[in-house]
Amino acid sequence: MRGLVVLYDARCGFCVRCRRWLEAEPKFLPLEFLAAGSSASRARFPTLPAPEEAPEELVVVDDEGGLYYGAEAWIICLYALRDYREWSVRLARPALRPLARVAFEWLSRNRKSLSRRLGLTPEEELVTMLKPMSPSLCDLDARRSLSDVLGGFFR
Amino acid sequence: MISAAPEYVVLSYVAYFAVSVCLTVWVARTLHRNGRIFLVDAFGGNAALADSVNHLLVVGFYLINIGYVALALKYGTKPFDTQTAIEAFSTKVGWVLLVLGAMHFFNLYVFSRMRRRGLLQYVPPPVAPVGRV
Repeated sequence: MRGLVVLYDARCGFCVRCRRWLEAEPKFLPLEFLAAGSSASRARFPTLPAPEEAPEELVVVDDEGGLYYGAEAWIICLYALRDYREWSVRLARPALRPLARVAFEWLSRNRKSLSRRLGLTPEEELVTMLKPMSPSLCDLDARRSLSDVLGGFFR
Repeated sequence: MISAAPEYVVLSYVAYFAVSVCLTVWVARTLHRNGRIFLVDAFGGNAALADSVNHLLVVGFYLINIGYVALALKYGTKPFDTQTAIEAFSTKVGWVLLVLGAMHFFNLYVFSRMRRRGLLQYVPPPVAPVGRV
C-alpha cells in the first residue's frame, strides 16, 4: 500500500475539520482528499455508487483499488498517520473493533449536528452565505475606511 | 540509646558512596553496551542517531542515580560499632540496587518502545478492504 484517497463529505464542517487535521499530521502514507460525489471523485472512481445511493459513510480507496467503508475507513486513515498507526492496530483488534465501529458510526451519523454544535461551517456553505451579501463592502472606499477603523483600533 | 560513633559513620558513608557509584557505573556501561543494538534497530539502522540517543540516555541515568545516592547519604540509622556500620551500609546499598533495578527496567521499557515505534512503518494494514473499485 502506497497511498490512500479519502472521499469525505465536504458539506459537513466536522468532516472538513477532520480533513484539515489529517492533512496536518505527519504521515507514513500520502493521503489525497476528494469531496464525495464531486465531479472529480466521479471521474476518478466511476464505478463507486453516488453518495445518494451509498450508505452515509466515509469511503477510502487505496492505491491498489481496495475499498474501505465506515469504521474500517477511519482505521485505515489512522494507519496512514505516523503518530496513530499504533492506535489503528489497537482499534482493529477483535477486542476494540466493535467499540470503534460503534463510535465511528455514531460520529458519521451525528456529523451534521456535531458540526452545528461545534460551530464548524464548511467552506461551501460559507461561500453560499457570503455570495448574496452586498458588494459595497468590497469597494475601494469602504475598504479604505474599514482599514482606517481597524488601523485605529490596533494603533 | 548509644550515640553514633563518627569514625563508623564516616567509614560507612565512604564505603556506601564508593560502592554505589561503582554499581551505577557498571549498570550504565552494561546499558550502554547492550542497549545500542536495540536503538540501531529502532532508528532503522541509523547508527549515528542511535549512538547519540544512547549516550544521552546514559547521561540521564548517571545524573538520576548519582543524584539519588548523594541525596540518600545522610538518611538512615547512624552506626556506632562494626555491626551497625555493616547494617547501615547494606541497607543503603540495598536501596541503591533497587533504584538501579527500577531505572534499568524503565530504560528497557523505553528502548523497547522506541524499537516498536521504529518498526511501525513495516506493520501491514490492520484491516482488509471490503471491495474493489
